[in-house]
Amino acid sequence: MNELISILNDIRPGQNFSKSENFFEQGVLDSLDLTALVAALESRYAVFIDVDEMTADNFRSVTAIKTILERKGIKLS
Amino acid sequence: MNNKTELTRRVLLTGDTTLDPLGRLLERDQEMPHLQVTAAPYGQVYQILLDASHPAWEFKPDVLVVWTAPQLMLPSVEKLLRFAAGSAPEAHEAALREAEQFAMAVVQAASRVSQVLVPSWVLPNYERWIQALTWRQGIGPANLVAKANLILAEKFSERENIVLLDAASWQLGLGRPAYDPRMYAVAKILYAQSLFAKAASEIKAVLRGALGQGKKVIVCDLDNTLWGGVVGDDGLNHIKLGAPDSVGECFHAFQKTLKGLRSRGVLLTICSKNDEQFALSVIDTHPAMVLRKSDFVGWRINWKDKAENLVALAKELNLGLDSFVFLDDSPQERDQVRQVLPQVYTPDLPVSPSELAPFLSSLNCFETVSLSGEDFQRTEMYQAERGRQEVFELGGDVENWLNSLQIEVRAAPLRRESLARAAQLLNKTNQFNLSLRRLDEVSFWDWASEPGNSAFTFNVADRFGDFGLTGLASFSLHGTEARLVDFVMSCRVMGKKVEEALLGYTVAQARSAGARQVLANVVNGPRNGPAQTFFATKFFTCDDLAIDPAYVAIPSQIRLKEEVFEPKPVLLAVYE
Repeated sequence: MNELISILNDIRPGQNFSKSENFFEQGVLDSLDLTALVAALESRYAVFIDVDEMTADNFRSVTAIKTILERKGIKLS
Repeated sequence: MNNKTELTRRVLLTGDTTLDPLGRLLERDQEMPHLQVTAAPYGQVYQILLDASHPAWEFKPDVLVVWTAPQLMLPSVEKLLRFAAGSAPEAHEAALREAEQFAMAVVQAASRVSQVLVPSWVLPNYERWIQALTWRQGIGPANLVAKANLILAEKFSERENIVLLDAASWQLGLGRPAYDPRMYAVAKILYAQSLFAKAASEIKAVLRGALGQGKKVIVCDLDNTLWGGVVGDDGLNHIKLGAPDSVGECFHAFQKTLKGLRSRGVLLTICSKNDEQFALSVIDTHPAMVLRKSDFVGWRINWKDKAENLVALAKELNLGLDSFVFLDDSPQERDQVRQVLPQVYTPDLPVSPSELAPFLSSLNCFETVSLSGEDFQRTEMYQAERGRQEVFELGGDVENWLNSLQIEVRAAPLRRESLARAAQLLNKTNQFNLSLRRLDEVSFWDWASEPGNSAFTFNVADRFGDFGLTGLASFSLHGTEARLVDFVMSCRVMGKKVEEALLGYTVAQARSAGARQVLANVVNGPRNGPAQTFFATKFFTCDDLAIDPAYVAIPSQIRLKEEVFEPKPVLLAVYE
């Protein structure tokens, strides 16, 4: 959890990610941040996120990110 | 002056794909210079290059980065790749015309900014095409893109402020895919994040080089850094250095790389825990040493703390520790220097000796946009300074010492030939600098060419050698009042009354141009104490900006000559 927040903070410093329910609708992240987030998650967890998974919905909140990572076998506490 | 504002540059990115990720990396990088970046919408390269009233220019950038892909920017390259051209030779001809057109548009835009950076064209590595034909003359895309890059290099040479960056080398050193087809499908981002990170690091390095902020001094350890083994234990004949020992070969290669850096103006010094006399005798007598004592401008070979030794070396060379790079095989020594002197760049050295030379060659901290005669002679100049100091230490009397030096100062108006070095001095000098104004070559030349503005350069020499162009002064004349704008002197000539001669000459020039009063506004910067102290003694009263002519004179020990035109190119385009 803290690790995810730290990755998100690297992409957009100074945002309250843990409280946001939809990063994209609330303007916390934009579509370019989504690409940076995918690259950062892939590099940190050695996973591959395919083009059809790169949707705002899959990365809209900390819970959503945890869910997609779990689908790829990465369990975050 | 705020140091951050002083070194903030505005950068406009334009390309045929989305470059925003590069912009964000450039802005977040904490290394100098700080950048404020705008990425123009992709696909508007020609509109931006050709139209000075395009909204992208409202940002008023100092630097323009034009990063395009050959298969997107040159339609005929795409046709060749997909076998859609009438014939391969026709596609080649058309693509080269397109490359020329692009180059001319970049040249046109270059007059609007101080610096243009253009990553060279590289075909994506997944475009294998037909290996047997890709380099075939007039046929293959590899052959075509190489020629197109040569056209860029040739056309860009018309303007000194355009730099063609070697983007192919960024990809080679990456070790992972440089392209990400998913990101292209999602957001028209052609390159992978890792390539953007590499590009950002290289662009920052080039901009630092352009501002004269590259590193100037390497401090080397000896044991297991310049040679394999511990010479104090193993003895001169048993250290690993040179053939046929494979480890010795690696250290020999590392020394050759260091020697190359020394030859182009990076100063080499030693900091080692050893017996000084013995270590120096090894350096001068070991048959496989590439570097000899004469290649080093200073050393601290003793049993003291290394950070303390680095401080002493910086003082001896009169250079800031932020221009130092510390190379030492010991993680403990590196850690200590990092903690005590964070301003010194202390990279981790590779553990394998075989990686030492490639590692040093790959460092981008010694970047520069030009090489001048000054650079090639730098080590000799510093060695001459050692000679001067030794004479001073023997004699002790300052006046006699100054007389014995036979100092000569040659003053000349700023010229195209001296511009590269003058701009380098202006941007590099922190200590003896009146205003801390930083300007690139083009802006400085433009400023000096304005009516009422005058700029002068000063070459200093003495009986020990030539210091080269080490002084710069400029003033702006308004009616009968001249204001000193720049008064900059290299730390190499400090303490020899040269500054008195420079001020004497500049004030005389201002008076002969019609000034009755010469003003100097000394900026209170973090490191320009020497300039502040010097000017404090020159004013009528302490809260006055007007210089009192009674305190300005050319010292009797210094011979000042006005230089007549001497057509000696300072900027070297090629090694000679």
